[in-house]
Amino acid sequence: MSKITIDPITRIEGHLGVNLDIEANRVVNAYCAGEMFRGFEVILKGRDPLDAQQITQRICGVCPVSHGMASVLAQDAAFSISPPENGRIGRNLIQAANYIQSHILHFYHLAALDFVDITAVANYQGTDPQLLGVKAWIKSQIASGVPHPAAPFLPRYTGNYIENSELNCLAVKHYLEALEMRTLAHKMATIFAGKMPHVASIMPGGITERITADKIAAYSSMLRKLQVFINEAYVPDVLEVAKAFPEYFNQGKGCGNFLSYGVFPESSKGKKLFPAGVIIGGKPSEFEEGKITEEIAYSFYSSASGLRPAGGETVPDASKSKAYSWIKAPRYGGQVVEVGPLARVLVAYGKGEDTKLKGLVEKVLSALDKKPNDLVSVLGRHGARAIECKLLADRISDWLDQLKPGEPSYSEFNVPSSGSGAGLTEAPRGALGHWITLKDGKIGSYQCVVPTTWNCSPRDDKGNPGPVEQALAGTSIADEKNPIEAARIVRSFDPCIACAVH
Amino acid sequence: MSEISRRSFLKISARLAAMMGLSSSALPQIADALEQIAAKMAPVIWIQAQSCSGCSISLLNSDHPGPAEIITQYISLLFHSNISTTTGHQCMEVISKTVGQGDFLLAVEGSVPRGMPNACKMGEKTISEQIIAASKKAKAVIAVGTCASFGGIPAAENNPTGAISIPALFKNESISTPLISLPGCPIHPDWLIGTLIHVIKFGIPPVDDKGRPKMFYKKLIHDQCPRFTDYEREKFAKSFLEEGCLFKLGCIGALTYADCTIRQWNSGTNSCIRAGAPCIGCASEHFASKADFALYPRNIINSTQQKKG
Repeated sequence: MSKITIDPITRIEGHLGVNLDIEANRVVNAYCAGEMFRGFEVILKGRDPLDAQQITQRICGVCPVSHGMASVLAQDAAFSISPPENGRIGRNLIQAANYIQSHILHFYHLAALDFVDITAVANYQGTDPQLLGVKAWIKSQIASGVPHPAAPFLPRYTGNYIENSELNCLAVKHYLEALEMRTLAHKMATIFAGKMPHVASIMPGGITERITADKIAAYSSMLRKLQVFINEAYVPDVLEVAKAFPEYFNQGKGCGNFLSYGVFPESSKGKKLFPAGVIIGGKPSEFEEGKITEEIAYSFYSSASGLRPAGGETVPDASKSKAYSWIKAPRYGGQVVEVGPLARVLVAYGKGEDTKLKGLVEKVLSALDKKPNDLVSVLGRHGARAIECKLLADRISDWLDQLKPGEPSYSEFNVPSSGSGAGLTEAPRGALGHWITLKDGKIGSYQCVVPTTWNCSPRDDKGNPGPVEQALAGTSIADEKNPIEAARIVRSFDPCIACAVH
Repeated sequence: MSEISRRSFLKISARLAAMMGLSSSALPQIADALEQIAAKMAPVIWIQAQSCSGCSISLLNSDHPGPAEIITQYISLLFHSNISTTTGHQCMEVISKTVGQGDFLLAVEGSVPRGMPNACKMGEKTISEQIIAASKKAKAVIAVGTCASFGGIPAAENNPTGAISIPALFKNESISTPLISLPGCPIHPDWLIGTLIHVIKFGIPPVDDKGRPKMFYKKLIHDQCPRFTDYEREKFAKSFLEEGCLFKLGCIGALTYADCTIRQWNSGTNSCIRAGAPCIGCASEHFASKADFALYPRNIINSTQQKKG
């Protein structure tokens, strides 16, 4: 048996190391190590509750909006308030813009270079000025004799990249456009958020930014540009990668259980654009918050294991002997579950109520000659992310129409001296929950269970590996020095380690 | 430029001259041009410590120059965890080779867990030993964001990891490499790009007593506030949707040095105060540092008249 250590895993958020036990070129055991801890839950204790939505946003610079949302939802519940319609929709608009930003960033800038051969641009024969610029840069870098030419795009793992040079050049062109598009999506969020990353305007009770016609028009204009990019580049590019690497419909399947808390409320008390739900062993069921626990047998904590987040604890123990990760191991009714766009799409598809989603999933599957079960894979995760991005972008214009300029986007509230609340939402990467309890008007306890806490969890108390660990097990690694297969599987989950550990 | 690189430039020039059918008399000029191209591209290593990647994401939000221009025309970004194609052991080789050769710029995002070194590791080594080693060999170090500049939230009261800023690490380790601090949670992309270009083209920019470039951090937010006239007329907002100075809702723009109220965020799209939110002092050395210093003090909010709508 040999060992492969991939540390750091780049093109994700944060500090992740992956250790693989290899036998006959096959992964026997995988271990995900979250390697950075700050102690947000400890720092929040005793603070003013309103601090939480600002402080928890700083857990993650890629999905701060989702933490701000989970925090204000938990506070709304603890303070027994709900935002006015403009506030609810304003929050949706900020979060939706960051979803689009995050999904475009993930596919092009984090994942695509595992498939696309960027060096193909060195032989580009066309007339696109941007690509000619990249071509000249690559050539001058190589000619200059610097030790690491064309960084940060080289060096890279050797492996089987796309061979069609036209497709590679088009993908590089879209990589560059996607940089502008994700920036545009952040601008779109900022119209109502004040600033991105780390939103200024989200508060318990709504948002502080006022709803006016000029802001609606600006958001709408930016949205249309993003829709064109999603329809003309993002979705087709994901399909092209899927056609070029069909074997990745059989790679990285993982635990096969899925969880979604649901996100984007369509009314103050009612259905969400992406519904809550659970799929365990292929069987759908309704989500029950009481089934969430966090285990810590292999995590660097000395607090009790198996606690529910509402009564959770975080006591670090950096020298715990059996531990190999700062990530806790959340479980749902004791089961290992995957969260993220794939979970959201499968839960919604299973419910069958959203005809647009069902239609789009089936269109994608028939274009690739695949079945719904094939989605449980590396390519299925990329596909689900693109499908969700398109559905969301198409839905937003209806929300813009529902805004009422001049009406309030925020309601005043009082903070009670005691109480508790759970804020359950979905970050771009999956199910996100914040749990707050109040003591003498201050934060008595605060716990976060974050998407990558689920996906990159280490083994639980019973020794069951987490979703990414399970997805890696059984994978064939052609070249132990260049384990690109493993990197592709890990990146398909879009891990965020600053989130997972916090 | 060392003799060795000059020789390698001349060698490449000979190949290029042959390709272009030029005589050998053109070699020195071609070598000069190549040297200029390589010299313009200052090598940069970016290390993330106890960070959220928010400053990196904010850097991607730069419009002019955009991130692609920065990477292909200004700096040679040898390592950045969120962007680099290189993975695993290759990363550690790129970093150690670059650090070994010296003559690079180091950007550090995030604080360092001084009291619990295992709370931040990369490539099976603690981040603190890697930052110390790289800082000693770097031409200059840029502390990117409030966590790196002042400690930020990871170093807030009651924090369990003993987190410290990069200036504090430099003091502890007696590192004398030039150090610039760019606080802000996150940094504004203009602050970082302006500083980088200044360092590359003109040298270290003038900084204040906290190592902040004066060109960005000279004035208080309050002095550049769009609601400054409201303050002068003593018109104070009592609810988040009201017009007026946000001081009574907890705004600490009067204690915070940065230019984001006039520069604004996301290419001039908006700013915290314009969006009705008080400045929480995210660029300040005191940001979130004290547990009993509420960002939105309720004693002020609750004593005001309740306003629905």
